[in-house]
Amino acid sequence: MPDELDRDLLRLFVQGDLDAFESLFKQFEIDVYRWILRIVRDASTAEDVLVEAFWRAYRGRGHFDPSRSFGAWMRRIATNAARDHLRAARPRAGWSTPDHQIPAPVGSDRDLGEAVALAFRTLPPKLQVVATLALIEEQPYAEIADALDLPIGTVKSRVFRAIRALRKELARLGIHP
Amino acid sequence: MIDDDRLQHLLRSAFPRTADQEPSRDLWPLIVNRIHAPVRRSWLDISLAAAIAIVLMMFPEWLLLLAYHL
Repeated sequence: MPDELDRDLLRLFVQGDLDAFESLFKQFEIDVYRWILRIVRDASTAEDVLVEAFWRAYRGRGHFDPSRSFGAWMRRIATNAARDHLRAARPRAGWSTPDHQIPAPVGSDRDLGEAVALAFRTLPPKLQVVATLALIEEQPYAEIADALDLPIGTVKSRVFRAIRALRKELARLGIHP
Repeated sequence: MIDDDRLQHLLRSAFPRTADQEPSRDLWPLIVNRIHAPVRRSWLDISLAAAIAIVLMMFPEWLLLLAYHL
């Protein structure tokens, strides 16, 4: 992320200057959008979450320390906003599954892939975010830890728990990995 | 039996990596509108928050359950 920023610009942002905020938005918009897209995996949703994230950033500007990285701070806010979206959109594990979501008997990689996708969407959002970034997007653990403001050990633990939960959900769907 | 590598391969097949895309439109006006929108807090939200606080004070062990699901 572009993060060699003018301290004065950041100070103006903290003071609520909208022009300064717009300048920051223009510099970080694309990077933040791509980060959100990696998590929510839908372009239109990523735009909505981006608006939410920058609104949260402006609302919480008083908590930002201009001596720190704006990019890292913004990425944490974006990650939280994306996770909140997943939480709101999450199908509930254990609830009755709509007929159209019941996977066909697993006979091919495609069927298995659909079952894995269905099972993945039932993971708790905090596991889903970490698993998406680590297993699908192959982001470095350190980067994920920074974005979630967590120790690397916790990220590794969540990846492990996500795989275990995925296997459990697949077993519930009649697949025994 | 699916090993971890195979599971990861299936996940990547089900959810292909995202390409380097950009927003399809200018989102800045939406952010400005959001900033200038009046903050509304409904009585329902306030009542719900109060109810949750009271329940957690009565049953503090439920906090762990709540934290797990958050």
